[in-house]
Formats: sequence, C-alpha cells, structure tokens
Amino acid sequence: MKNSVEINSLNKSYGKFSVLKNVNLNVREGSIFGLIGPNGAGKTTLIKAMVGALKINSGEISVLGKNPLKNSWELRRQVGYMPQTPSLYGDLSARQNISFFGKAQNIPGLEKEVEKILEFTELTDRANDPVRNFSGGMQKRVSLACALIHSPKIIFLDEPTAAVDPHLKKRSWELFKKLSGQGITIFVSTHLMDEALLCDTISILRAGEVLAIDTPQNFLARGNSKIKYEKEGNIFELVSGSDPASLAIQLKKLGLEAGITKIEIIQDNIESIVLQMTDKK
Amino acid sequence: MRHAFIIGARVIAQLKGDKRFLALSLIAPLIIIYLLKLLFDVIAPAPVTPVSGFMPIPLPTFSASKFILPASAFIVHFLSFVLCAILLVQERTRGTLDRMLISGFRKISVISGYTIGYFGLATLQALLVITEANYLFDFNFPFKTIFILFLVIWLLAVVSVMLGIFVSTFARHEGHVFPFIPLIILPSVFLTGVIVDPEKLPALANLLGYLFPLRYANNIIVTLQQNTYGFSDLWPDFLILLGYAGALLLLASRTMKEKE
Repeated sequence: MKNSVEINSLNKSYGKFSVLKNVNLNVREGSIFGLIGPNGAGKTTLIKAMVGALKINSGEISVLGKNPLKNSWELRRQVGYMPQTPSLYGDLSARQNISFFGKAQNIPGLEKEVEKILEFTELTDRANDPVRNFSGGMQKRVSLACALIHSPKIIFLDEPTAAVDPHLKKRSWELFKKLSGQGITIFVSTHLMDEALLCDTISILRAGEVLAIDTPQNFLARGNSKIKYEKEGNIFELVSGSDPASLAIQLKKLGLEAGITKIEIIQDNIESIVLQMTDKK
Repeated sequence: MRHAFIIGARVIAQLKGDKRFLALSLIAPLIIIYLLKLLFDVIAPAPVTPVSGFMPIPLPTFSASKFILPASAFIVHFLSFVLCAILLVQERTRGTLDRMLISGFRKISVISGYTIGYFGLATLQALLVITEANYLFDFNFPFKTIFILFLVIWLLAVVSVMLGIFVSTFARHEGHVFPFIPLIILPSVFLTGVIVDPEKLPALANLLGYLFPLRYANNIIVTLQQNTYGFSDLWPDFLILLGYAGALLLLASRTMKEKE
C-alpha cells in the first residue's frame, strides 16, 4: 500500500531552539495515524510543515507524492487542515464559514456540498446560527467541516478533541473512522492517550524527537503486568511481561501457595507505557 | 480577483454581523465632530451686534472650515487605520489568516479583499462626516466642492485601510498596533496642516510632513476652500494619494508572510 506522507530527516529550529529533530515517519494511505506527545513536543510545528505553512531547515517532506512547500497550491486542493484553535469567523454562521473556505477551492456545486458536509458533521439544525454562540465542541465540528468541504485525500487534525466533552469526543472519533473508511488518510495529533488506541498507527513525539512508531497493540505489548497479592496479611508485588503465557506461569505459581487470600492484576495502560518511554529519554 | 471579491464579501458580512463595531466606526466620527462644534462655538462665538453710541470692536476673523475639515479628514484617517489594523491582526491571532492561506486564498487576494470590504465603510464614513460638518458649520459650499471633499476623504480612508493592512503585518497581537499610533498617526496632526499651515513650520518639520498621506488630503481641502480652483490645482495631490494606496498595497503584500 502507498504512503500518503513520507518524512525523512526533518529538522526545524527557531533561532537556536530546535523544535523538530531528525524526524522520520511514513503514513499509510487511508489509515488513521496518531501523533502523540505532551504540549510543546512539536506536534503543531510538524503538522504546519506538512500543510506547507512552515519553512523547514533541512530534510524532506512528501505529502501525496508532492513537496508541500514547492507544490503548495496543487496540494491545497487535496489536503484538509483543522487547526488547534477553531479558526472561524464568530459573526458568521456555520454555513457561511464552511461556504467561505469552500470558495477558496472553486468547488463545483458548492451549495450542495455545504449541505452534505453539514449533515455529515451533524450541524444542519444549527447551520444558520452565528458560530460565536456555539460551544467549544460544536466550533470544532464546524472547523472540521471547513477542512472537509473540498473532499481532501488527506486531513491533518491538530488536537481535534482537546477540551471537548466525552460525548462529542466519541462522536468526533466516529466521524474520523467514517472518513478513514472512505479511504481518506487521517493524521491526528493529540496529547490524550486514550485516543491513541483508536488509531491504526501511533508515533510518540517528545521534545521534537520521534521516540517510537508502532501500532497501539504493539505498544501495549511493550508494557508489563503487575501481580499484587496478599499473603498472611502482607501485600507483595510481582512484575510479569504483558504476554498471556508469562502471566499464566506467575499466576499458576501463586495459586498453589497456601495462605494467599487476594490476587490483583494491574496491566500497564498506553499512558503509562508512553510515559515510561518519554521519561527514559 | 474572484478570491478578492469573495474575501471582500465576507468582510462586509462580518461587519454587518458586528453591529457594535459598525456603529462605533460610523457614530464615533460624528460625535467627535459635534464636540468640535461645541469647542469652536466657544473659540469663535457669533458676532455681537454693536450697541448704539459705541464703536464696534473689530473681531479677528476665524474660519471654522479651515480647521474642521482637516480635523474631519484626520478622524476618518485615524479610525479607518486603527480599526482595519486591529481586525486584520485579529485574523492572525484567531488563526483565520493562516487558515485562509492554507485553504487556497493568496495573500494578495486577502489584502485586496480587505480593501474591497472596507470601501463600503469608507464611503459611508466619508458621506456622514461631510454631511454633518456641512450641516453643523453651515459651510455653504457648492455641490461640486462637497463632492470633491467627499472624494478626498473617501480616498484618504482607503489609504488609511491600506496603511492599517501594512502595519498589521508587523503585529503579532492587537497590542502591537498601538505603538504605531504615536509613530504614524499623531505626527500627522502636527505636520500636515490640521492645526497650523505646514509651510510655517521649520524646514525639517515641513519636509517630514510630506511623508504623511494626510498632508496631501489637506492640500486638496485647503484648495477647495479658495474661491476659485481648477482641476489642475487638485490632481497632483489626488495622484499622490492614489500612489500611496498602490505603494502600500504592494508593501503589504511583500511583508505579509504566507509561511512561518
């Protein structure tokens, strides 16, 4: 399968401050790629470099086979970008905002497309309300609709669910999955670890460096399981690998011991695995 | 050019949606001109009818139009500059400027679009200011003079919009606009004929005055107040104002960054 994004040895600095250090990554076409990292890791800078809004110091970026800096005008028709802040006109309605950004792309039958995207993002009922009256989550949905109006082949979402309530977050991810199902590549940045599990591939970015790239399942396999047990009034702890075989061996051993009154298994979650990785660095 | 009109239409829709901003930019100049009327009524009271048996005291002649028209031009210049600069900086801080450029609008379309959007506001401002000044101070100018006055104030407003766009390219947030006010706007008051004839100023100050577009607008306003004037007396200053607008448009398109 083809790659929608290929980045080789990318470096970006502001003066002496290095923001991105030798970044290498590939994003498979039609997949959901998660860029995970704490605030200030360089996620927004990397996304801006990929959408052609940022000059890089060295390295190569290819988006849909094109250089985003040299072919920015060709790429803008195929790339959708949802910034971290909603970046909308508060005095205009949701429909007017979507239509305005759509007009930049000379889309044939724009009005119909706007109606379709309003329906897709479940905004039809409030399409004519000024965006300033919307909640943060609703504004993010309008922002997503603006990024999708020209039917892009790849969409970059910068922290799309930050400060969004759990219900809206769930619905947003249902939308992303739907888009991915249509063959659109989704590149999503987040600092929320629970979202990492919803991606096909994740990359951990810390202080401008990519620490690891893998599937969420493989990341989980890197973690450990702790077995806490109570024996004759005292609490003991055993560390086991996360694979079921080693866990079974440990449990079998404990199960035969007399005097054990309680056993608890604590598995590393994605958050603790990522934290261990970033802390090690 | 199509993109410029799309952005212009959006600016107009946005202005219509922001009633407070619209009211402020249209009503504020009218309030200031009314306050000037109150001030001039104190400085130059109506002539007193001489009492019989006393010799009438000759009062110094005072022409309100000599001050009020340049002051009106200045108010429009100042407000258009500040409001446009702040609105465009807001585009940057809100992220909509980046989004526009990433979506496929070019920076020249953004600048032209803003200018088109403000044409309407500048026209309304110029019309209201001229109508109020003429009504309050009873200038009794012929229609031709009033029309040219409208034209010069309108053109000055357009230049101010361009200046606002240009300055906004140097500002990261709204607060960065304010240092430009003492740098660009306030010297206009002293050096361009709003208060004193710039020709009476020291040579250097007079020379500096030529840097400000208000100087050329005031030159036209002064000429219009003479009993006779011809097109040849006006066009050089009109041409310079147009040149200012063009040069600022070019400068702004050079200084606005598409990529960080």
